[in-house]
Amino acid sequence: MDMSGEYRIPAPRERVWAALNDPEILRQAIPGCESVTKTSDTDMEAAVTAAVGPVKARFKGKVTLSDINPPESYTITGEGTGGAAGFAKGSAQVSLREDGADTVMTYVVKANVGGKLAQIGSRLIDGTAKKMADEFFTRFVALSSVETTTEAATAPAPTPAVALAEPSRGIPTAVWISGLVVAVLAVLYLMNR
Amino acid sequence: MYEFSYHKASSVAEAAGLIASHPDAKLMSGGQTLIPTLKQRLAAPSDVIDLSKIAELKGIKVAGNVVTIGAGTLHAEVAASKDVQAAIPALAALAGNIGDAQVRNRGTLGGSIANNDPAADYPGAVVALGATVITNKRRIAGDDFFTGMFETALEADEIVTAVEFPKAEKANYQKFPNPASRYAMVGAFVAKTASGVRVAITGAGPTVFRWNDAEAALSKSLTAAALDGVKASADNLNSDIHASADYRAHLIGVLAKRAVVALG
Repeated sequence: MDMSGEYRIPAPRERVWAALNDPEILRQAIPGCESVTKTSDTDMEAAVTAAVGPVKARFKGKVTLSDINPPESYTITGEGTGGAAGFAKGSAQVSLREDGADTVMTYVVKANVGGKLAQIGSRLIDGTAKKMADEFFTRFVALSSVETTTEAATAPAPTPAVALAEPSRGIPTAVWISGLVVAVLAVLYLMNR
Repeated sequence: MYEFSYHKASSVAEAAGLIASHPDAKLMSGGQTLIPTLKQRLAAPSDVIDLSKIAELKGIKVAGNVVTIGAGTLHAEVAASKDVQAAIPALAALAGNIGDAQVRNRGTLGGSIANNDPAADYPGAVVALGATVITNKRRIAGDDFFTGMFETALEADEIVTAVEFPKAEKANYQKFPNPASRYAMVGAFVAKTASGVRVAITGAGPTVFRWNDAEAALSKSLTAAALDGVKASADNLNSDIHASADYRAHLIGVLAKRAVVALG
């Protein structure tokens, strides 16, 4: 599976980078995400319940960051395991570009599937991946906007749903992409048609 | 399969009570999607609530211009119904070409539309004929029912009880079936209804949709030639090992024309 996309986020690049490195924001933005845990400066684990039609399964994904160049770009390598049925591995190159007051994020994902999963074709991977990406960015933009609004108001503002953390060193964005990898695993299981 | 508790509901009210009190339960009608999913261990519901023995969900009634089909009615029953064949022959033909004989004798209308598989046939008929979906809570217009891939307007504890199909002046459904599963790689349902010409496309995108450009062209002239210059966009169409988005876009045009020709 190859996938690429571009999203415009109405927030400065430094803020987007910081938000992308905040496990709590990621947890809230990744559809079905139960937990995001940093295991080192460059590694995270995510537990995601992927629900697509009749399928509802809990998967664990691991994400490793490399080529970290804050606040512009990094490469994420993700791996999702779905038990005995197989695994999916993927990597994504993510970059942030400033455009006026906004930030444009672009990503290119390549994923491979192995094990028993590889024998099961699927007609729904692209649709699911796109849907998850759209959901992620809709939520992510909303979470970022809360912060922006709060900052703009000088009066005591309503408590933001999520406080953006200090930019931590380079744990990235693409945990959501591991979410995608994980969802792709789920969809692959759907009956071969 | 993982372990679950099985409930055989005898009424819609009983099933609604069960689903409301068991949030991790799944409703099952014919089980043609749910059972394979459970067998693959892709879902682990706490409870399965079987709707297939509920008498009030079964049956076909024709009153005036409306054909009402119970949600638990089998595809094979719709296909064989003299009433449906007389009132909306395209609907009977559609039901008769779903899956294989085994699927048609277990699968139901309500199960098909509530699952809303992107490649299912019935959503095309519901949208093109301007049908109304009736649930245990309300009535939902066909145009508003299918909201996304495997997603509908149904609430978690809402159960489809029947679908009302208005008779069409003319209607026809053409699909390009996957040779293994008979799922629609693309299906085009064209209907000349009281509210104008409607064209619903299934199998091509994340969910069924109306092809507005074709409807506009066919409203002027209900002929295949009217679609000569009308091209479906490949944007947002499904792309998989069976067919690319561009190929599906091409099939939309081909199948819509075939359906128009078959309208007679």
